[in-house]
Amino acid sequence: MTGYSERTTIIDSAADILVTGLILGGLYALIAVGLSLQYGVGRVLNVAHGEFIMVGALATFSLFTVWEVRPVIALGVIAPVLFAIGYGLDWWLFNDLRGSSVNEEHFEGRSLLASFGLVFVMQNMILIYWGGQHRGYTYLNTPVSILGNRYGANRLLALAVAVGVSLALYVFIKRTRLGKAIRAAAESPDMAAALGVNKRRVLATSFGLGAALAGLAGVLYSMMFQLSPSTGIELTIVAIVVVVFGGLGSIGGSLLGGFTLGLVISFVNFIDPSLSIVAFYLIFILVLLFKPSGLFGRELHAD
Amino acid sequence: MIGTKKIAPFVLALVVALVATACVESSDDTTTTTAAPTTTAASTETTSATETTEAAVDAPEKILIGNPIALSGPVAGPAETTQVSSYDTWAADVNAAGGIYVAEYDQRIPVEFVRVDDTSDVPTAVALTQQMIEEDEVHFIFPPWGTAFNFAIAPLINDAETPVMGCTVGSKQLVEQAADFPYFYTMLNQYFDQGAALVELLEDLGVTTVAIIHHDDLFGIDFNEFVKPALTDAGIEIVFEETYPLGPVDLSQTLRAAQDADPDAFLAFSYPDETFLMTGQAIEIGFNPDLFMASVGVAFPAYREAFGPAAEGVVGTGAWNPGIDTEDAQGFYDRHVALHGAEPDRWASAACYATGQVLEQAIEAAGTLDPKAVKAAMDTTTFNTILGTFEFEGQFNPVYPGQIGQWQAGEFEIVSPVDDRTAEPIYAKPEWPAG
Amino acid sequence: MLTSTIIEERKVSLVVIPLTIVALAIAPSVVSGSQLITMITVLQFATLTLAWTMFSGPTRYISLATAALFGMGVYTSALLRDSLPIEALVLIGAVAAFVLAFAIGLLTLRLRGVYFILFTFGVTALIRSTVQWWESTVSLTVGRHVEGATNETVYLLMTIIFSLTLVVAFLLRNSKTGIALVAIGENQDAAEHLGINVTRVKVLTFAASAVFMGAAGAVMATRFRYIEPAIAFNPLISFLPVVMAIFGGVSRLWGPILGTAVLIVIQEFLITEYPFWYLLLFGLLLIVTVVWLQGGLVELVERVYWWLKIEWIKMKMRVKMRWREWREA
Repeated sequence: MTGYSERTTIIDSAADILVTGLILGGLYALIAVGLSLQYGVGRVLNVAHGEFIMVGALATFSLFTVWEVRPVIALGVIAPVLFAIGYGLDWWLFNDLRGSSVNEEHFEGRSLLASFGLVFVMQNMILIYWGGQHRGYTYLNTPVSILGNRYGANRLLALAVAVGVSLALYVFIKRTRLGKAIRAAAESPDMAAALGVNKRRVLATSFGLGAALAGLAGVLYSMMFQLSPSTGIELTIVAIVVVVFGGLGSIGGSLLGGFTLGLVISFVNFIDPSLSIVAFYLIFILVLLFKPSGLFGRELHAD
Repeated sequence: MIGTKKIAPFVLALVVALVATACVESSDDTTTTTAAPTTTAASTETTSATETTEAAVDAPEKILIGNPIALSGPVAGPAETTQVSSYDTWAADVNAAGGIYVAEYDQRIPVEFVRVDDTSDVPTAVALTQQMIEEDEVHFIFPPWGTAFNFAIAPLINDAETPVMGCTVGSKQLVEQAADFPYFYTMLNQYFDQGAALVELLEDLGVTTVAIIHHDDLFGIDFNEFVKPALTDAGIEIVFEETYPLGPVDLSQTLRAAQDADPDAFLAFSYPDETFLMTGQAIEIGFNPDLFMASVGVAFPAYREAFGPAAEGVVGTGAWNPGIDTEDAQGFYDRHVALHGAEPDRWASAACYATGQVLEQAIEAAGTLDPKAVKAAMDTTTFNTILGTFEFEGQFNPVYPGQIGQWQAGEFEIVSPVDDRTAEPIYAKPEWPAG
Repeated sequence: MLTSTIIEERKVSLVVIPLTIVALAIAPSVVSGSQLITMITVLQFATLTLAWTMFSGPTRYISLATAALFGMGVYTSALLRDSLPIEALVLIGAVAAFVLAFAIGLLTLRLRGVYFILFTFGVTALIRSTVQWWESTVSLTVGRHVEGATNETVYLLMTIIFSLTLVVAFLLRNSKTGIALVAIGENQDAAEHLGINVTRVKVLTFAASAVFMGAAGAVMATRFRYIEPAIAFNPLISFLPVVMAIFGGVSRLWGPILGTAVLIVIQEFLITEYPFWYLLLFGLLLIVTVVWLQGGLVELVERVYWWLKIEWIKMKMRVKMRWREWREA
């Protein structure tokens, strides 16, 4: 059921697949980076991640349509609020689970279930506050020309932010003191505690940071898509697939994984769009079967 | 001796399970006899004070209409906008006049909706409908939102011999099944009428080439299958055609390929999320064909709000607007806005309101609340509704104010069929506004 | 002290399970038609939850493939309902689910913890999207109608399936395999070293549990009436049994059943009165269970039971002592 017109040159098509793939990948990476941090440091596979993104997106929508607040400004409000919520959740809920779990696998299972309960809670609150309607606005919709084809400025912005944030995070973790403390807490919690690192605070900070990053993704997401309370789960799935693909626990892996996935899906879209969802899940389970540690390893625990 | 200390928990579980199901029954009872949750119709109860002279002793206090529909979950939004609001507007209108006149009791009886949440889950909608039929406490049933949901309950209501009218259902299968389910009626105009009108419009505008995209669900598939041969017959060339899966994240590649084919007209057979997405992305990539058409979603006021001036000239399926020359179209619009603070959509909202009008007039014609008699009346009565005057043809409503509409200066004008136009179509569509 | 020995539970079960089956069998003549419809839903989820617990309970491998296995049964009915009697559909659905589960079991042998959970989820999503693609591109049907069956028939079949699930779950718990499963859950490597054929135990148990899911799917399709991939492979069918089992408590046979019954009742009640709040309540209940009541309702019930018992004994002793004092006075 496909058919596409003659492309002027093969290079044109290839350029389009490449750029579209990178843009899509940037979106994927942005959605995933917060989760990557939360799992990489705290070993919490936060299935409510998508709900955090939706809160950020819907808040941006409300601020934009009601008070005409620009998304960039809105971020200044949304990110700290979500950080605080994430911090609190980890400080009380996940920390409790950490203490009372027998081993790491036990904790991972329990925290996954707890975050699953969180999905229900947050979805309900989103539904109560914003209602079930689909909502949307458009922002930065202007076309930008790259290599002969045009792309939306808002999507390019998302790409730039994804790259920027991932790099910033990478540098933060490698160079700054708090970053090193986070790495230490992730790598060897007891050692870190012995060395005076306040493990509980560090873990809560990274979870909060992950939630803030989810908010960031939500702000950008809201510029391009219609919002509905049930989108959260779909976003979580994307984030999980990207994080697994890139390597559970690796921030750089999420970025590279996101881009790779974006390029692959972009290519499949070129061949036959109706297969893109099938391809998405097929890649997911293939990675789990053959390279569960992901394509790019776990750099939070390496060097 | 056996270890009686361990029997207790097991027996407790059993007792709880059985008591649980007993309790469920009582809560089910409360839904059908007492006022349902917050979303029931605002029923202004001006009961028949002036007409009680010869009221039959056994006249029911209210005409109860059971309505299992999505109050939560993914489709709750559209269900509220299009269906629930319109149903409630109708109920308010009917009750303001004292209710529906039932000759059997020589009395006006107000209506009340008994609304239960199917949580956007088809099997739940089926179970709820079954229970409503089983408990036999409601007089009539109004359907849930959506094609799949309506299909699922059609056999049930048919077996129960109670008439149901679907206003948010569209599919080829309806035609194939009409004979199997004589109690299921369709109020909404279908893809064959809309497809024909679409081709008529394209011919009238002198379009020579089209690009078509559609999702891989029933609606898109049916529409496409109908339109393609019609286009060929009209001598219009299809220069691009592509299917995409439901719930796409990025349609830009598809749109760009359509753009490369340089068609006069772009047609999309789509659902709201996709409609909104492709509009936004068409603007992003600067894809500006002379005619830009998408299906479900364009006729929503939300579309106009989301895209502002960019909506100007966009064509969509529908079609109805408050300015048409049928009975009380503007009145419906005004009362809907007054009651809900929101506009009705320009496609199915009117059909859902008309559903109520049909029921009302059928009951009046039959003179009784007996479902079989009402159904018989539905087959023979001429109805006067905000959609126009019509009789059911094979359980379908053959009259619809318009099939295809276009946003012009903030209103969704009917542009096809040509004879039903409320405004001349804008062709070519203006350029997407900057920013 | 709060845990019963498996021998005592066995003795109790031998009495209560037949009682339960009898009660279920009598029910149609006692309850109303509307209640029967609710009971069918309860039986559906009780079967799924109990079958899920068969494998995932003791081994702690949280499977999210329930929807895929259930869906196999649903599609069996959707495709063959017009040509075969319903009993045949149940058998075929069961076999189809068995085969799929067997394959998944083999594929996931080396996956543990989170990876196993994610894989089962991914495979279900893959099946759903593949069937959707197939239906829309190859068979061009997408939605399928399934002829219904009377409430009594559906109830009867679900009762039989549920009863079989219950009996098999009971026998499994009291068998060597059952103990092997618990051992695997505690420490898979140690179990391996003890000589347990972990591969065989895991794969066969997982596949066996799927039999009941597929059978249930084949029956419920006649209740659903209209089938699409999104309905047959609905992710909630994977998630809810997990919530119900954990909330009910997986350490006892009756835990998952209790969890199912309580949650469905809560949901039915809240849906009519407060349509939005039931999600919130479910979520809170799950979090509370995971954090504080890891044994679920089972733990709650048993704690209360033992507390009552101890208070009763204390009271008896106090009475006895006062009696003696009085006598000696």
